Amino acid sequence: MIIILPWAVEAQGKLVTSQKSVIIPAGSYTPFFITKSDKPLKIASFKMDETAVTNVEFLEFVKANAQWRKSKINRLFADSNYLKNWEGDLDIGAANKNIYNSPVVYVSWFAAKAYSEWKNKQLPTVAQWELAANGRPKNIKYKTLTDYILGWYEKPNPPILPNVKSTYQNEYGLYDMHGLIWEWTFNFNSFIGSTDTRGNTQVDANNFCAGGAVNVKNKADYASFMRYSYRGSLKGNYCIGNLGFRCVQNLTSHD
Amino acid sequence: MIHLRKKLLFTAVISFASICLFSCKTNSSGNGAADDTKIDTVLTGTVTAELTVAPNVPKPLTYTSPKRVMVTLETIEKVMPISDSTQYTFWTFGGHVPGEFIRVRQGDLVDFTLKNAPESKNSHSIDLHAVIGPGGGAEATSTAPGQSTHFQFRALHPGLYVYHCATGPVPLHIANGMYGLILVEPAAGLPKVDKEYYLMQGDFYTQGKFEAPGLQAFDQDKALAENPDYVLFNGRVRSTTGANALQAKVGETVRLFVGNGGPNLISSFHPIGQIFTKVYIEGGSEVNRDVQTTLIPAGGASIVEMKMQVPEVINLVDHSIFRAFNKGAIAQIKVTGSENPSVFHKGQ
Repeated sequence: MIIILPWAVEAQGKLVTSQKSVIIPAGSYTPFFITKSDKPLKIASFKMDETAVTNVEFLEFVKANAQWRKSKINRLFADSNYLKNWEGDLDIGAANKNIYNSPVVYVSWFAAKAYSEWKNKQLPTVAQWELAANGRPKNIKYKTLTDYILGWYEKPNPPILPNVKSTYQNEYGLYDMHGLIWEWTFNFNSFIGSTDTRGNTQVDANNFCAGGAVNVKNKADYASFMRYSYRGSLKGNYCIGNLGFRCVQNLTSHD
Repeated sequence: MIHLRKKLLFTAVISFASICLFSCKTNSSGNGAADDTKIDTVLTGTVTAELTVAPNVPKPLTYTSPKRVMVTLETIEKVMPISDSTQYTFWTFGGHVPGEFIRVRQGDLVDFTLKNAPESKNSHSIDLHAVIGPGGGAEATSTAPGQSTHFQFRALHPGLYVYHCATGPVPLHIANGMYGLILVEPAAGLPKVDKEYYLMQGDFYTQGKFEAPGLQAFDQDKALAENPDYVLFNGRVRSTTGANALQAKVGETVRLFVGNGGPNLISSFHPIGQIFTKVYIEGGSEVNRDVQTTLIPAGGASIVEMKMQVPEVINLVDHSIFRAFNKGAIAQIKVTGSENPSVFHKGQ
C-alpha cells in the first residue's frame, strides 16, 4: 500500500545545507476515510527532517536549479503565486529578513518534489506524515492534541510567518508538525481517487456535506477532517501562503 | 444499426424529458408559480447580481426573461465582535455573517465563482440549496486558500434558499458562520411591498459563557451536545436592535427574508406585537395567512410579511424563549407614524 519513491535520478548541485533528520519508528496508520475492508497501513521506519524547509534552504535549491526560479518556472508546475513573497529570483528580500528561517511557502507540489529529489530525499506519504504528526508534544501544555490543532486552525494566518522551531517539538524530535503551516504530502490527493477525477465516486462523496460523516474513523476528530479537506482541495501547481513541506528518507523497501 | 437506434431512442427520451422539465403545464392545486410558469432556457443577456449585506436585500429584479447572472462570493476568515466585548473567529461568505444575499430570477443561468481569500487558513466550498446538481455545488467548489472555483446552475424552482459551506467537517464551518440566503424570484416576480429586509438566525458555541469578554474559541463539546451559548440574528448580539433596528412606517407592508443557518437549532420565529399576514411556508410557493409563529428549520428559510398598523417596536424572536432572553435571539423593527386607536388604544 505504501508508495515507494524512486531515489532521485538527477541530483543537481551540491547539498549546501544538511538538514537534521530524525528516525520515525515503524508503526501503523488507519486512514481517516475508511471502509470495512480497510485495514491499518503498516509503515516501515523512515527518517524525517526535523523542520520544514526554510526560505534560505529553498534559495539554495533555486540557485542550483535555474528552471525553478520565479521568472523561469513553467506555469504547469506552479501557479502565479509561486514564491510570491520573495523579492526576486535569487532574492528573498532584505525586508524579509524575519522569514529567512521561516518555512518556505507559496511553493507547488512539483517544486516541493523537485527540491526533495535534489536532496536525495522524498516527500512524505499521507500515512507517513500522519504517523509522524501524531507524536506527542514534549514542550507545551495542551488538553488534547486535537484541541491544540483546532486552536491553530481557527486562527487566521499571521501577517509574518514565524520561524521554524517556534511551536513545539514532538516525541520523535520533530518540530512544528502542527501549528505553523500545512505541509505537502506526496499523495495529497489520493483519498479522492486519481488526480483529476471529481466524479461521483463513493470516496469522493465523502468530501462534502453529510456524506463526510459516513466512513470516517472518528467523526469527532475535526482536526483530521480539516486536514483531509484541505488536501482534497489542492492541485499540484497550487502555491499557497500557509502551505510548505518537509522531506523524508525511506530506509528500507517494504510492501 | 442497433447502436444508432439506441441513440435515437435515447435522444427522444431526453427531448421528451426536457419538454416536460421546461414547458409542461401541470394541474397542481397550489398557487405555486413553479409549476405553472413556462421556463424559457434561451438566455437574453448577462447581468451581475447585486449582492447585499444583512439586513439589506437586493432590489427586486426588473427583467422578465432568463439571463446569465454572474455571482462571485469570497470566503473570508476574520475575527469580529459577537457581542460588545466578546470576539469570535468567524468564517464568512463576503466578510459578514450571514453571507451576502443573492437575488436571481427563476430560469436564470447562474454563473457562480467561489473565491477563497489568500489569508484563509482553511479550504472552503459552497452548497446552495437552490442548486440541482452534485452537492448543491459543493463538489465543484472545494477551494484552497487563494484559489477560486467555478460552476453554473439553472435556477429552476422559485423560493428562498439557504447556502452554506460544505467542506468537512461541515458542522464546524456552519457553526463559524458560513451561511447565507439566495432568493430565486418567481418568473412573474413577488408582489410589491414597501420594505424588504434580510435576517438569518444561527447558534454559536464558545468556550466562555454568553458574553464572557475577549476572544472566545469554538467549543466542540457544546456543539455536539447542541447546547449553544449564543442564538443570534445576523451574527451578533444586538445586531438589529436599538439604533440598528429595522425601520418602517405605519401603513407600510414589510417583507422579511428569514433564514436559519443552524447548525443545530430550529427557530420558532415570532413577531411580538404583530401577526404575519403572509408566510411563504418554508420559503416555498405555498402561502399561509394570519400566522403568529412559524417554524424555520436549520438549513431552511421563510418569507414573512406584516402590515405595519401602529407605532411600536416589534421584537422578532425565536419563541423558544430562553434563547431570546438569555442567548441573544432578538431583532427589532421600529415602526414610526401616527397612533391608530381603532387598532390599538392604551387605556388610562
